[in-house]
Amino acid sequence: MTLSPGGGEYVLALADDEHMIGARHTSWIGLGPFLEEDLAFCSIAQDELGHAISLYELVLSDKVGIGIRDDFEARDVHLDRFALQRSPGEYRSCHLAERGCTDWNDSLVRHWLYDRAETIRWTALLDSSNEHLAAIATRALSEESFHLEHAQQFMSRIAPARPDPIIGSITKLLPIALGIWDPVDGEPEAVADGVTTATSAELAEYWELAVRAELSDWGLDIDWPTGTSTRDVQNHRRNRTAGFDGFQADLCKVIDVDPAARW
Amino acid sequence: MQQYEVFLKKSGREEFRHAGTLDAPDPEMALLLARETHSRRAEGAEMWLVDRAYVFVADTAQLSVNIDKPHRHNDGALVAARRKQDRKSRAVEPSHRPLIPTTLSKERL
Repeated sequence: MTLSPGGGEYVLALADDEHMIGARHTSWIGLGPFLEEDLAFCSIAQDELGHAISLYELVLSDKVGIGIRDDFEARDVHLDRFALQRSPGEYRSCHLAERGCTDWNDSLVRHWLYDRAETIRWTALLDSSNEHLAAIATRALSEESFHLEHAQQFMSRIAPARPDPIIGSITKLLPIALGIWDPVDGEPEAVADGVTTATSAELAEYWELAVRAELSDWGLDIDWPTGTSTRDVQNHRRNRTAGFDGFQADLCKVIDVDPAARW
Repeated sequence: MQQYEVFLKKSGREEFRHAGTLDAPDPEMALLLARETHSRRAEGAEMWLVDRAYVFVADTAQLSVNIDKPHRHNDGALVAARRKQDRKSRAVEPSHRPLIPTTLSKERL
């Protein structure tokens, strides 16, 4: 089942978001606030990378004609190169997923804002006209319920107990999180094809309601960002965030040793 | 942080078994985190958590007095030997087999 160019770009945006957020989350391996949380957070990271792989396979099956269940080795070589070695301008990830968060409060807040959005994005794909994408969305949502619950449970405890650093992180990251809803140029075509069942603008409204409701539940008073946001500077997800080159170089450390290696 | 004891049960007729311990701030978070710490490879189909504070621990000195009591370890060997002897003696002389084999009664009783 072939995706239109717009449909492919729309799927790629979600794939790149999942790849970047998964890779960024894994930086907490061995450094989480306590062992149990370390394991849970890195399991979530692993799930997100799994979602990225499923979506990359779907995009690649069109681009290089490798079927989803074809030659695994050949597929993996293409997949690794595609995931890791594109030029920065060819990625479609949002800045929230790309940025480095070395502070645990920032990482937790990002996890909550991102997974709040991710759940909504996958839900819009459940009835996709692309049956592979619909199946990936069904699988991903079964995992997302844990991710979101984890973020909510953690936030609901830490936000009332230590509001100041959490408010600081939300104030910093909320304008950047709005960039999740920056549509790729191909989105109108993806909507017309039925690849997705809702526009980013429509999904952003659900997200804002959910985020505001939770902020209120946790007693956090945050001004909703106005004016220029990351959504504007991302340029339809064509511009990478500052620091992307270094991050990509880190991700490519292994593949650069032997780009032709077969695992 | 509280400590919780994790028990897992595989599907079917297996019993719950102790799988380990975890730290969590409260029961709800404990259930959430235990899923990843102890069952992320689907080790259990069902899971119990017990707050460590509700585990009552017996005195090991009270338990140790029962270490040297082999007579309480009835593995059925005596009964099996007697039945074997019964079968033998029945084959030879059914009407005159002793109720308790003499060899065993001297040795073990």
